[in-house]
Amino acid sequence: MSARTRTARRRAAPATGGARQAGPVTYVALSLTVLLSVFPLYWMVVIATRGNAAIAQRPPAVLPGTNFADNLSETLQNPQANFALGLLNSAIVASITAVSVVLFCSLAGFALAKLQFTGRNVITLGVVLTMMVPVQLAVIPMLIMMDTLDWRGQLQAVIVPFMVTGFGVFMMRQYALQGVPTELIESARVDGCSMTRTFFSVVLPALRPAMAVLGLLTFMQNWNEFIWPIAVLGPDNPTVQVSINQLNQGYVSDFSLMFTGATLATAPLLLVFVVFGRHLIGGIMEGAIKG
Amino acid sequence: MSKHTRGMRSVAAAVSSGALLTAVACGNGGGDGGDPELVIETFGTFGYEKLLQEFEEDTGITVEERTYGELEDWNEQLTQNLSAGSGLGDVVAVEEGILLDVMQSQDSFHDLYDYGAGSMEDHFLDWKWEMGHTPSGRLLGLGTDIGGMAVCYRTDYFEQAGLPSDREEVSELWQTWDDFVEVGVEFSESDVDAAFADTTTEYSNAIMRQSGDVMFLDQENELVIEESDSVERAWDIAGRMIEEDLTAELEMWSDDWTAAIQSGAFATMPCPSWMLGQIEENAGEEGEGKWDVARVPGDGGNWGGSWLAVPEQTDHPEEAAQLAQFLTGPEGHLGAWEARNNLPSSPETLQSDEVQNHTNPYFNDAPVGEIYAQGAMDLEPTHFGIGHFAIQQSTNTEALLSWEQGQADREEAWEQAVQDAERIAENN
Amino acid sequence: MRVRNRGAAPDDGNAPPARGASAPPPDPDRAARRSRLWSQLDLKLSPYLFVSPYFLLFGVFGLFPVLFTFWISLHDWGLLAGKQEFVGLDNYAFLLGDEKFWNALANTLGIFFLAIVPQLMLALLLADTLNRSIRLRGFFRVGIIIPYVTSIAAMAIIFGQLFGREFGLINYGLETLGMGGIDWQNNRLASWTAIAVMIDWRWLGFNTLIYLAAMQAIPRDMFEAAAIDGASRLRQFFQITVPMVRPTIMFTVIISTIGQMQLFTEPVIFGQGYGGGTQGQFQTVAMLMFEEAMGAQNFGYGSAIAWVIFLLIVVFALVNVLSVGRIRSAN
Repeated sequence: MSARTRTARRRAAPATGGARQAGPVTYVALSLTVLLSVFPLYWMVVIATRGNAAIAQRPPAVLPGTNFADNLSETLQNPQANFALGLLNSAIVASITAVSVVLFCSLAGFALAKLQFTGRNVITLGVVLTMMVPVQLAVIPMLIMMDTLDWRGQLQAVIVPFMVTGFGVFMMRQYALQGVPTELIESARVDGCSMTRTFFSVVLPALRPAMAVLGLLTFMQNWNEFIWPIAVLGPDNPTVQVSINQLNQGYVSDFSLMFTGATLATAPLLLVFVVFGRHLIGGIMEGAIKG
Repeated sequence: MSKHTRGMRSVAAAVSSGALLTAVACGNGGGDGGDPELVIETFGTFGYEKLLQEFEEDTGITVEERTYGELEDWNEQLTQNLSAGSGLGDVVAVEEGILLDVMQSQDSFHDLYDYGAGSMEDHFLDWKWEMGHTPSGRLLGLGTDIGGMAVCYRTDYFEQAGLPSDREEVSELWQTWDDFVEVGVEFSESDVDAAFADTTTEYSNAIMRQSGDVMFLDQENELVIEESDSVERAWDIAGRMIEEDLTAELEMWSDDWTAAIQSGAFATMPCPSWMLGQIEENAGEEGEGKWDVARVPGDGGNWGGSWLAVPEQTDHPEEAAQLAQFLTGPEGHLGAWEARNNLPSSPETLQSDEVQNHTNPYFNDAPVGEIYAQGAMDLEPTHFGIGHFAIQQSTNTEALLSWEQGQADREEAWEQAVQDAERIAENN
Repeated sequence: MRVRNRGAAPDDGNAPPARGASAPPPDPDRAARRSRLWSQLDLKLSPYLFVSPYFLLFGVFGLFPVLFTFWISLHDWGLLAGKQEFVGLDNYAFLLGDEKFWNALANTLGIFFLAIVPQLMLALLLADTLNRSIRLRGFFRVGIIIPYVTSIAAMAIIFGQLFGREFGLINYGLETLGMGGIDWQNNRLASWTAIAVMIDWRWLGFNTLIYLAAMQAIPRDMFEAAAIDGASRLRQFFQITVPMVRPTIMFTVIISTIGQMQLFTEPVIFGQGYGGGTQGQFQTVAMLMFEEAMGAQNFGYGSAIAWVIFLLIVVFALVNVLSVGRIRSAN
């Protein structure tokens, strides 16, 4: 990737010749894409606000109903799903992992990008290689380990293993290569700052945009984690995905409840996205995630 | 961007307070003096809510019930936590299909004879009591319910099809499984817009279990699926249902299946007693009074039922055994029957007035107590073997269904069933 | 780590000469030397300290479990029977002749290609479109990234309903249009398609934005020059845009590969279990692993499958990395 600096190019550039102008076909295609993107979510809300019979109703309902409050209280009170606790647990897990991933990955990524030390390249390659290790596939020994630590059914079982990720280290390194001017580090060193202080006072502010993106991505990823929590937590102390799975697994399928659960599990992410979404898009756009 | 850092700080604050909350919320409590807290792990609907309250009031021991949505999930958790040596509740439900698998690690459970459960012998059906023992004679589990077997059918559809709809007459109509297929053909030739049955998979299960013999595995746990008469007979009957196109080709408990109950897409289904509650919940008010219960062709048979066991992992074996005995005693059996129509595994309770005179308003006031108890008293249990649950899943729910749904012919489906069964048996 | 004295710590020889020629007392000199030593040490050790959390955590929760998985895979390791018998490479030998494994591998790769190829092509086209001067650009960007933000399990439930055979909305739509409904679960290709749609729905917007970022780094004047030379838009796309973002395409391919080889959540919820349909027509390798380990309690074999998945991912990724390297040097 060419190391383009972040410029204000995100603002629509002035039209430059007909070739780069968009025609009506473009708008139709884009609108269609957005429509398809949003439709399943809309359908989710439609069923979540109606009764169970709405699923089999033909022609299907197109507008949200008025049942949401009932469905909501029924979902939250569902004894198998433990939904309120699931939501709280997910918020805790996703927040802690996001903060810790951002901190540790920034540290490591900065070191790999900007500091000269023996074995740097080997370690960088090591990080890239470890990104390929599908930790989900090590469920069996992980369970045995969690038992040894007595973490079965405890939140640290879904937090500690994910407190720093290879992807995060790699991403921060890529960003730090271009986003942290070497002069900044040097001048801090000249001022007599230790490396740690340099990192916190100079490097971290420069990494901020990438940190926001990584934090968001990590938050979402851990909020959505499915396999591991189901294996290690169980319904007693669930994350929200485990709760959803509980709703889906009963011998009685109540779609309005399942869809309400799905809405509950998705709404917080959408909320976070609405608040910080700029960073996410901006971050992706600014090439923070570049190969 | 100071907003950002402020946000982070408040997140951190929220996190630390949350961490405190969860510290309180997780773990099985107990171990800190005072009255112990027990956890009981069940699946589906055991109907224990009220009983547990009673137990708490009587003993001062608090009990929390952890319920798993589906048996498959629970079996997975149970085996995982058994082998891990931690994470199980103080009392756990062990379903019939996995009982023998669990017996392999009999040392992971307390011998209930040590806690005075020996005195309960006469309370249970003989076979139910026997099956709770490990090969070495320890008492691992106490019987909760049994499924029994009947057929639930839609009276309105039967009327439309010109068939009798009274439960006695319907029971007369299909004394044998061959009769049952005949009725199905007649039904499908009428102009009712519904399938005769949901799927062959559980009917064949019911046929296999009526044999009172072996199904997939013999007493030595050798795979006998290819020699088993009961399996062959079940596949023959299922084959005729498939050829005559009598089913809606639905996978049991899939979303389509539950939606089909709601919309009334089929007219009959096999009905162990615990299925009544599920029909009621799935069909909702729409279905009230439309369903009724008839005897099962070939009479008798059983589908389902569990035992309560106390894992070695518990910190309170004394209290846990007390809870298990209460829930499987006369009071417990009756409470579960009243809450969920879970059929007691005790002759005394089966013959009690509360069961015998019980009618179910949702099912046209069918005398469900009488219907199920009759079959239960005469029941000849079928031997399952280690790995039974997994083999049954792959044979019925996968292979047979793929034939029914037209993905394979009988030969291909059968080959798949045998192969999968061999795979599973090899591991055990 | 403490913050050291804030005196001027001469860095690696670039420090300005000491101000004032007045002879400094010897003490500060020693202090300076000591602080230089300290600074050297700080410079040498900090990088290792900074990368250590990752390697520590990875060692404990990544490397060790993976190696332990390999150890288990050399055993006949039953759960309940408590047996742990060393069998060498038997599990791997069995795997090579195991129809179920090859079926699962075929499904995994089939779904992978069915999902990833159209998805990345579409993402390229969409990115190219968004790279033009259009109105409502922000709105469109948010619109296409929204799926990426939703919960996978929740979405799998919704799509499972949409793709229902009897009561699914999609079949209703098809029937309304006068076409027959499709048996989404039982037909192999249909089930692959349904799962691929779930994957694409989720990842399309994400990859589009990554491509868009890469495209925005292409100097505008290249397009302008091409336009003046009379190159059509299509030609510009293939001759300028695609070659310029090729490394990014490779990057997305690698990321997709790592993710897709572990494909699990969507098909599990779609089929409500690890079996992947009545004939395993959409059972992926990860599902087979779970079925063996959790369902059949065959930890040894399940672990062998896990290792094979792992090796496949490494091979795929290395091939990709090498081809990127080749393209780079070719450019």
